[in-house]
Amino acid sequence: MIEESGSRWAAGRKAAAVGRIAFRHQLAYKTDFAMRGFFLLFILFVFIQLWSAAYGGDYELVISGFTLKQIVWYLVFTEALTMAAPPLCSRIEEEVKNGDVAIRLIRPQSYVGYHFSVFASEALTRFAVHLLVGSAIAWPFVGPPAFGIGWLGLLALSVGALTVTFLLLMLVGLCAFWVEETSGLYFVLQKLQFTIGGMLLPIDLMPEWLQRICAWLPFQAALYYPAKMAVHFDAALLGRQLAIQIGWIVLLALAVSQMYRRGVTKLHVNGG
Amino acid sequence: MSMGGKALANIRFVWTCWKLNLASAMEYRLSFLLLAGMMFVNNTIWLFFWGLFFNRFPIVQGWELHDVMMLWAVSTGGFGWAAMLFGNFSRIAGIVATGQLDVQLSQPRPVLLSVLVSRCSVTAAGDLLFGVAVYLMVGDTSLRGLLLFGLALLISGALFIAVMVLAGCSAFWIGHAEGMTQQLFQSFIALTTYPSDIFRGVVRLALFSLVPAGFISYMPIGLLRDFDPLFAAGAVGMACGLTVAAALLFRQGLRRYASGNAIAMRS
Repeated sequence: MIEESGSRWAAGRKAAAVGRIAFRHQLAYKTDFAMRGFFLLFILFVFIQLWSAAYGGDYELVISGFTLKQIVWYLVFTEALTMAAPPLCSRIEEEVKNGDVAIRLIRPQSYVGYHFSVFASEALTRFAVHLLVGSAIAWPFVGPPAFGIGWLGLLALSVGALTVTFLLLMLVGLCAFWVEETSGLYFVLQKLQFTIGGMLLPIDLMPEWLQRICAWLPFQAALYYPAKMAVHFDAALLGRQLAIQIGWIVLLALAVSQMYRRGVTKLHVNGG
Repeated sequence: MSMGGKALANIRFVWTCWKLNLASAMEYRLSFLLLAGMMFVNNTIWLFFWGLFFNRFPIVQGWELHDVMMLWAVSTGGFGWAAMLFGNFSRIAGIVATGQLDVQLSQPRPVLLSVLVSRCSVTAAGDLLFGVAVYLMVGDTSLRGLLLFGLALLISGALFIAVMVLAGCSAFWIGHAEGMTQQLFQSFIALTTYPSDIFRGVVRLALFSLVPAGFISYMPIGLLRDFDPLFAAGAVGMACGLTVAAALLFRQGLRRYASGNAIAMRS
């Protein structure tokens, strides 16, 4: 019993240490941050123009429960979350192609756990920075994000949202153990997140039949839930959405674990 | 060699490069089909988004779903042929900064032309196919419509090439400019896929001057739907002017080029 809790403690310390190193690693690449920040500003500017045109510049108009201000801030949150995810698939693909995966596998830390530590550290840092950058453009155009307790909802659901994103990316990334080239699958996953995940368009604005399909998929738990909760806080819904996120995390984690177990037996490493 | 003879030799050189690029892409036929197919699916999902958007807002600043579909046909189609035939246009900055021009400088051919045609983007085949498919689906397939669509593709592709060569030439002066030019590339592509009429004031002015993406994104209206001779002349003029400017700037920049000692045999 004591031995088991000791090994868990050691695993946690290793994960925290990897996270700390990943955090410091990011700070060394300020240009990278600046570039992403510029692109975020640019794309949000385009979205603000598009949605302002769609609403005819009317700040009072409410469409499917969203005012123009809420839509713009919703987009800031979905973009901040989307761009927070580091390129996990291409990293795994590169590790498999150049043989670095061999080094990762012999380390005394779970392969998936290692990637989760790096992902969590990078994604949380990026998310915070992107929120600041996004606010810098949304605030002057549509006013301050006075969402009160909605911010708490955003933060509560963002942790689960990023975990769901990690697991989805891991599922695609692990395909590299069989096929090496995963960029095509990643592209499709990314576009599914953009559309039926609610990144470009809140799911409430979609047709009824599509909303019903989206409800059965994990994508909305990764983007739509936290962003919608921020602009439309609903305490009753928060508990339900957290439960759905946990459900998806358990399901996807099982799938990742199964896939990893099978994939690692198929893996042939050359070089490294 | 006379001027005519030189031109003929260059045409033959370009033709041979295109044939070799195609043969090289076909060597990995499955990968080629997968990558091109993936880009086709990618673009289709974007149109799916626009379908959802216009389902909720049927007319936005005079634009309808049909116009945005044609916008995607022109933008992806133009990008498609440009990246298939002149695949290095978005990589000039990296090529210059890493000294890879050495290979082209040793050949008795125009350097810029030789750089541009030495790569074929396989994913771009999916873009071109997508552009043509969307045109066949919703475009005007009469002879006039076909000619106008052909012109739109030519202008769009030429603008993509010229803008990126101009941006890439900055590497001759500031060295490593790959990050900056890639950002510009992504932003320029993004701007060509949104209706130009959503932008107002200074930004709109910039779209038709400094960052001439507006000449691509206004084509579904100004060239294909309500033919505006002034816009058409402006678009053709901008495409030709920027192409010449890009060639001249590249030549100017070449004088500053320092070799990377990267001469290598290419088979």
